[in-house]
Amino acid sequence: MEGSLLPRPRPRSIRLMVDASKSAADEQLSELALTEEEKLVLAKVAEILRKIQFGTVVLVVQDGKVVQVEMAEKFRLR
Amino acid sequence: MADTLRTLADPPSAPAEPKFALRDVVVTRRTASGETITATDRLTFEVAQGEFVCLLGPSGCGKTSLLNVLAGLVTPSSGEALLDGRPITGPGPDRAVLFQEPALFPWLSVLGNVELGLELIGVPAAARRDIAQRWLANVHLERWADAQPHELSAGMRQRLALARALAADPDVLLGDEPFGALDAQARELLQREVQRFWVESDDRKTFLFVTHNVREATLLADRVLVMSAAPGRLLEEFRIHAPRPRDLDDVLISRVVSEIHTLLMQEVDASVAREMAR
Repeated sequence: MEGSLLPRPRPRSIRLMVDASKSAADEQLSELALTEEEKLVLAKVAEILRKIQFGTVVLVVQDGKVVQVEMAEKFRLR
Repeated sequence: MADTLRTLADPPSAPAEPKFALRDVVVTRRTASGETITATDRLTFEVAQGEFVCLLGPSGCGKTSLLNVLAGLVTPSSGEALLDGRPITGPGPDRAVLFQEPALFPWLSVLGNVELGLELIGVPAAARRDIAQRWLANVHLERWADAQPHELSAGMRQRLALARALAADPDVLLGDEPFGALDAQARELLQREVQRFWVESDDRKTFLFVTHNVREATLLADRVLVMSAAPGRLLEEFRIHAPRPRDLDDVLISRVVSEIHTLLMQEVDASVAREMAR
């Protein structure tokens, strides 16, 4: 079943993603010209991504603004 | 926006001493035919003060045995079970238990049932009625104070059991499939009430429920511990940081539900395969 139809495995953290192609990431970021609000949201998301290995992060948006960040983290115990 | 962004992603800092600590707990029981069955196999986990934990597992995985250990009704065959750092030697008023079938006294009135619970822990007579009435109001049963338990619906009886349990102001509420026998609407109402009481306790009360209902566990708990089929071991832990009251339609909740469901079905299939191979 494993084939080209599956999405490629995603990098585990923002840090890895930026390291992978630093210049491209910088370019994208500067093109976006992020507002302070957006930076705060992204910083929060990055902070979470650095903490968790497996799980789900949900951003709740109301009226164009992220009002809440929810998260579920999974640990294997066996 | 920094002020309005509610982040539920930061896990609460773990307190130095857990409420419950289980180390390598093995519970065995003997069947009618004399066979010894291992209900739980070397279970190790901790529950922090003020946490809401649900233990989830297929039927027969030792959930009830484990809850009975925490309640002090069963002694583990090996390993240790600690409450506030001390071995659990028996039941106590600090731990209330909600069972699937509410254990109400049929000859007492609704109010009398709550009052008796308070009397047993030594609340003075003058204060009992007040506290009991307040808790009946809390679970919307004040109009039924003078009724007998048999006049109530199943959902109302379980609400009464919840009121009786919480009126005694226990540190810990243990639940053994407490809403398992209820219809869907009564169950939903009780799930909401339990969430409310837990939130209102403001980290003072620890709730630990065992259930085989994935949706219920995910809806209620900070932490869901998923157990294997018998003998019960811990498979995975899910830490859920989402606001309460939660809704099953929430994206995060429904996603976690489906993940746990998949895990449990794999476990059930594996255990059926093991049974067939025997």
